[in-house]
Amino acid sequence: MKRSSAQRVLRDVASKVLQNYRDVVGVQSAVLFSADGFELASYAADEAAAARLAAIGSSLAALGSAISAEAGLDEFERTTIESKSGTVTIMRVGDDGAMSLAVVAGRNAVLGQLLWATQRCSQALAAAVHT
Amino acid sequence: MTAPEEGEFKIVFTGPMGAGKTTAIAAISEVEPVRTEVDNSDRENHEKEYTTVGFDFGRITLPGGHPVRLYGTPGQARFRFMWSILGRGAAGVIILLDATRADALEQLDLFVDAFLPLVPPGAIVVGIGRNAEPGAVATDAFATRMEARGLVAPVLTIDAREPRDVRLLVHTLTCILESRVPAGACA
Ligand SMILES: Nc1nc2c(ncn2[C@@H]2O[C@H](COP(=O)(O)OP(=O)(O)O)[C@@H](O)[C@H]2O)c(=O)[nH]1
Ligand SMILES: [Mg+2]
Repeated sequence: MKRSSAQRVLRDVASKVLQNYRDVVGVQSAVLFSADGFELASYAADEAAAARLAAIGSSLAALGSAISAEAGLDEFERTTIESKSGTVTIMRVGDDGAMSLAVVAGRNAVLGQLLWATQRCSQALAAAVHT
Repeated sequence: MTAPEEGEFKIVFTGPMGAGKTTAIAAISEVEPVRTEVDNSDRENHEKEYTTVGFDFGRITLPGGHPVRLYGTPGQARFRFMWSILGRGAAGVIILLDATRADALEQLDLFVDAFLPLVPPGAIVVGIGRNAEPGAVATDAFATRMEARGLVAPVLTIDAREPRDVRLLVHTLTCILESRVPAGACA
């Protein structure tokens, strides 16, 4: 994908916001991605890993929207995949469905704290992007 | 697993972005199809507004009364993980291609490589869209490409917006599967 200057600015601003995850116990990596699966910014993920997380994350977000609609619910907001060794949370960023955030955390993360931090991060990203 | 003998079976529509997978399933599904389309931010690769990032899902009934589930994949290689998820347990695959794309033959190779290990031997049908448009790759070239790699597969020219064309693709595939589906499905 061509990187316009607007996208570079987004990447810089979003990367700064994602740095906040440094202070959240257990967070291993985080990726902000477009609805069609391109990574826009990342924290502690190498390029290849970020690209894969972005693609899979966008599928999950789209399936989240599809099942919400099927069940007659409002727009998809968040889903958490849980395993014995950790979690992956996918959260919608902003109101237009254009972006989502994926956060990978280890077993040592406190889910409540993680979700709260992710909510805050998502709001900061939405604000940063839409101003 | 979706063993064809045990009732409903599954067919996968695959192929590159913009080939017409979502359109084809919507054209023939008897139920409102499930779509997972989002805004396409990659206009360099394809000038279309929406793109599938999860899967398409629809359902049809064959002439013999046999129900078939139709799944459509995303087209971009970054969604390859969805190809194997959707290909698992499929009775066969329909590969759709856009003949006006300069890399249409390479795309054929890419999707054959990805789906050959996932479907029963020979359960592949190829549908070529936009074959009459200027600059289109000749239809024969696709069949030749398959033969060159020792594969025999029907290659049909289609318009994914035409229910008749899409049904013909499905019908052709079910004829290949004939021994596996109940009598009457392949009239
Ligand atoms: N002219 C022409 N247009 C087609 C054909 N098949 C699909 N289209 C159009 O191409 C666009 C892309 O189709 P879509 O189903 O989204 O492609 P997908 O990415 O494979 O799911 C749609 O606007 C269709 O109407 C075809 O055979 N001929
Ligand atoms: Mg599609």
